[in-house]
Amino acid sequence: MTNSAIEPAIEVVGLDRHFGQRQALRGVDLRVSPGEIVGLVGPNGSGKTSLLKILGGFLRPHGGRVEVFGLEPFARPHHVMRRARFAFAPPALYDSLTPMEHLHHLSRIGGHRPSDQELTRALATVGLADRANDRVATLSFGMRQRLVVALALVPMPELLVLDEPTDGLDPVAVLELRDVLLRLRNEHGIAVLLSSHLLVEIEHLVDHMLVLNEGRTLFSGPPSEMIHTTLRLETSSHEAAKVALMNGGIEVRRSQPGQWLELDAGSMDLEQCRALLHAQGIELRSFHEHRPTLEEALLRRLRAEREVLH
Amino acid sequence: MITFELLKTWRSRRPHLAAGSIVFFLVLMLVGFYTYAQTETGGDAEFRYTFENQSYFNGLTFALYSFYFGFLLILPIFLIMECAAHIAGETASGTLFLLLTRPLSRAKLFAVKLGLTAMSAAGLAAGLLALSLLVGLVAVGWGALDLYPGVLQMTDRHQHLARDVALVRFALAVPFATVALMSVAGLGFLVSTWVRNPVSAAGTATALYLVMYVIAEIHFFKDLRPWLFTSYMPYWRSLFQETVDWPGLFRDASKLAGFSSLFLSLALFRLRGREER
Repeated sequence: MTNSAIEPAIEVVGLDRHFGQRQALRGVDLRVSPGEIVGLVGPNGSGKTSLLKILGGFLRPHGGRVEVFGLEPFARPHHVMRRARFAFAPPALYDSLTPMEHLHHLSRIGGHRPSDQELTRALATVGLADRANDRVATLSFGMRQRLVVALALVPMPELLVLDEPTDGLDPVAVLELRDVLLRLRNEHGIAVLLSSHLLVEIEHLVDHMLVLNEGRTLFSGPPSEMIHTTLRLETSSHEAAKVALMNGGIEVRRSQPGQWLELDAGSMDLEQCRALLHAQGIELRSFHEHRPTLEEALLRRLRAEREVLH
Repeated sequence: MITFELLKTWRSRRPHLAAGSIVFFLVLMLVGFYTYAQTETGGDAEFRYTFENQSYFNGLTFALYSFYFGFLLILPIFLIMECAAHIAGETASGTLFLLLTRPLSRAKLFAVKLGLTAMSAAGLAAGLLALSLLVGLVAVGWGALDLYPGVLQMTDRHQHLARDVALVRFALAVPFATVALMSVAGLGFLVSTWVRNPVSAAGTATALYLVMYVIAEIHFFKDLRPWLFTSYMPYWRSLFQETVDWPGLFRDASKLAGFSSLFLSLALFRLRGREER
């Protein structure tokens, strides 16, 4: 195993950052290993972009430790950029230049001498080969977004950090971007850190996700760990069923009055439930497992956190 | 990197704007000179140089005064706009992130942009002078360069330079004027590392330049003059004396280089240390 294989691409421990009185990040931890895709999720203002800018050396951390390939980004940003590539949102490009000119000139900074074939391939990867020589001013927002991704791929980095890369992309382009990122990970072992509001994509793409809320870590782990399967039951009498279950020692996690009650998965089986309710004269109309989407699970966590904080 | 910066500058159309403005300025100057010759001198001085009419009021006089006014007012504004576009413009448009997410140190980025600005300064000075001389030659005709004491303080006694000597002095004026213009560029860079909006940066730097220029010109502030770079800016005028004070010329050039170095060092210090939000 080589050094680069065992060295984490990103290691953040106890990161703090404030802007005046406002604490933007509080004790955030993050580790991204080579070949890993990590999703960064959170509502607006949760600290995602601040974290990415600290990783890129654009902001100074006020506490904790931040290393990208073992280097402090704010102290040695251009050394970090030899191995990492960052693409921030919204896509900032030169309107008067063409995609090919962007690729040609920007990829040469740092000594890389790309062939025309390499540049064309990068544009083809993001579906912009036919617009290679059009001025960027004539490209749509989604096309500009794709060009930013193409720019990040030449020369091939070891770490790709993408801020909202799916913003402005149509559903087909989102799927294509997902394929590109998976291919980069599988074929080149590139580590990817991406922030996104598209939780469906995050769920399908990432190995690990970090959820931030008001600068704190709300969740860190594989997306599957955030999603808890529950039992949902519908009865003839909502309130009576709730009382009966609680009296039977079963905790009702959530309820939608008049519609359903939600219990922890495995807390009881169908026959036990039917018997318990039947004894109280309540009819069980529906009993099924419910798997929330990542979005639902995240919203649930955010609401719970808000109740705790406020 | 330099070819990239050149391409961006060319496509930005700033050079076209500068060239167009210089042409417009020279047309106005030409009209001004003709009007002055007809109305102010009462026919004593004809603004035309021919074999029969070897007027002191000729194409070289026109070129010198056009260069002098352009150097003090037009070139600094274009240079300031250039500096504002390089730093504040890239910051405001977000393209600074595009550059800094490449393996490029801020010091190197600054050096490339400074080099390009120095080229712009030299190009603007040479372009303005060449065009002034060309217009002077075509529209009026070149003769000897005679300068008389007057409100512009070009000289404190009559100076006579033969045409060929004057042309050599014009050629020498370009590098000396470029040194002076770089102090304006230094101010432009310094302001644009603090003010992130390019329009505000250009406006602020222009205002500072004009205030310092006016203060340097007013006798009331004579004690302040040594501390203002604008006091030394027109130093290249001494090239148009019959006997050039070379030590004085180089001393003033050194002072201007000192001001430029100070402004640029502070700008680099600010750019390297600042956060990009």
